Amino acid sequence: MRNLSVARAVAWRTLHNVFTNPGLVIPQLAFPLFFFTAFAGGLSHIHDVRGFAYPEGYTAFQFVFVLLQSAAFGGVFTGFGIARDFETGFARRLLLAAPHRTGIVSGYALAALCRWLVTAAFLTCVAFAVGMKVGGHGVDLPALYLLAALVNAAAILWACGVAMRLRSMQAGPIMQMPVFLVLFFAPVYVPLGLLTGWIHAVALVNPLTRVLEAGRGFVAGSPTEVAAAYGAAAGLAVLFSLWAVRGLRKAEAAG
Amino acid sequence: MDHPNTIEAEKLVREFKKGPRAVDGIDLHVDAGEIYGFLGPNGAGKSTTVLMLTTLLPPTAGAARVGGYDVVREGPQVRANIGAALQEAALDPLLTGREHLRLQAALQALPREERGPRAAELLDRVGLTEAADRKVRGYSGGMKRRLDLAMALVHRPRILFLDEPTTGLDVQSRTALWDEVGRLAREDGVTVFLTTQYLEEADVLADRVGIIDHGRIVAEGTPDALKAEIGRPTVEVIPLGEDGRGPVAAVLERFGTLVPSSRGIAVRLEGGEAGLAEVVRALDAAGVHVAQLELHSPSLDDVFLAKTGRSLEGHGAE
Repeated sequence: MRNLSVARAVAWRTLHNVFTNPGLVIPQLAFPLFFFTAFAGGLSHIHDVRGFAYPEGYTAFQFVFVLLQSAAFGGVFTGFGIARDFETGFARRLLLAAPHRTGIVSGYALAALCRWLVTAAFLTCVAFAVGMKVGGHGVDLPALYLLAALVNAAAILWACGVAMRLRSMQAGPIMQMPVFLVLFFAPVYVPLGLLTGWIHAVALVNPLTRVLEAGRGFVAGSPTEVAAAYGAAAGLAVLFSLWAVRGLRKAEAAG
Repeated sequence: MDHPNTIEAEKLVREFKKGPRAVDGIDLHVDAGEIYGFLGPNGAGKSTTVLMLTTLLPPTAGAARVGGYDVVREGPQVRANIGAALQEAALDPLLTGREHLRLQAALQALPREERGPRAAELLDRVGLTEAADRKVRGYSGGMKRRLDLAMALVHRPRILFLDEPTTGLDVQSRTALWDEVGRLAREDGVTVFLTTQYLEEADVLADRVGIIDHGRIVAEGTPDALKAEIGRPTVEVIPLGEDGRGPVAAVLERFGTLVPSSRGIAVRLEGGEAGLAEVVRALDAAGVHVAQLELHSPSLDDVFLAKTGRSLEGHGAE
């Protein structure tokens, strides 16, 4: 019960700060919208490339990527807040006040999820407003959001582990860069089958490729690689939860 | 199992990588309901000790029990029973005072219905009711300190750690904080562990004082006992005219040993401060005219000087 109380308190404070501060909430909504507009709008003719067979169109194809990207970066941006809390000393207050400290990690993760859900709702509305087509049954789209939520959890737990090890805003690039690389070494603009050379080889082993392909399958109404995608996302979330808890222990040891 | 409001440490050590031993094997025993003043200059190890006792920093060696719980093995129980206001009042500039208190109450798992009334009660107690719904980025240093103290008290802790709570405060805020700390110990039976670099603060507030220097406790006891340990009070008399020096010295030497004085004649009172009245009566009886008479009691700084060879006055915050 106490862990839950700590998690809710930490999440409330993070969300309160984000949603009462235009400087934090506007970029959170504007960046995914910018990427969605740039990719789905500006690159829409990629859909005409021979061999590009995605029945729901390029808008839906890119929507999945931008949704997953927003989930990942929603987690990373929350990690920036954790690093700031360490730099300002507020994290020490949390460590001191919380009888059960793993609740602090859970609280940041809960905040990241709630933050991203707002972004996801906004992005979805915009996508439907510009005519995104979705195939399949009613369960397919929620399955995509569940997959994205796992990506969000993996990203915040990764960022949390970094923030708690370095305890400085200078940890920002270290949190961001691997996530950026994993995202863009996946088949972002065209399906995996159209990639060639080294990028194809990298994308083939990139766990996010499975997630992206499955997500696009959900939107098209023809789920593919579902078990592999959930396995990869959940596996990363579990792995990074261990990383985050180890980070918490290092922060405790450092005082 | 009984868990007293005590603080105990045995051979507590904290070493930092590539650094000296910040705390070098200290032993502590603070009784329930006692205000213990931990006095020392910059870098003496005061804050490091507090960090270990509040479970924010694991000791390198030794053991400590706070409220009957081991600080290493029973951290959650220790944190549930203590409140702490650390040296820098780390507050969130985007939250109001009331929101801070509600957050703290939630972190401590206070029932939801108690959080609002408890926050209001504490805001009133520390004089922040009017500023309660303002964001703390607009608070003065004194207001932040008072809010910090209120946050430390949200869950009614049995033991309170205050790390230099009045550093940087004006006299009025400092006095208000002293009153509140004194009240907590006297009325609520809270054990208070207070670090300070202000001698007056330790003198006024603390039941017992520990003096730490270079990570070691060099003296411990009640302020009066520590002062008495290093010497008796001195009376310094400045006669009205130069020809009065002889008669004054003749009177004063009956009360103790004469000691050097740059302005007049001084004597270390063998009978302690109680001898002052007799000195005055004797000077009057001898018909000696006196321009000035001063009683110099040993201060905690004198104690510090005697124990470490250095003066504590004038040192900045740790």
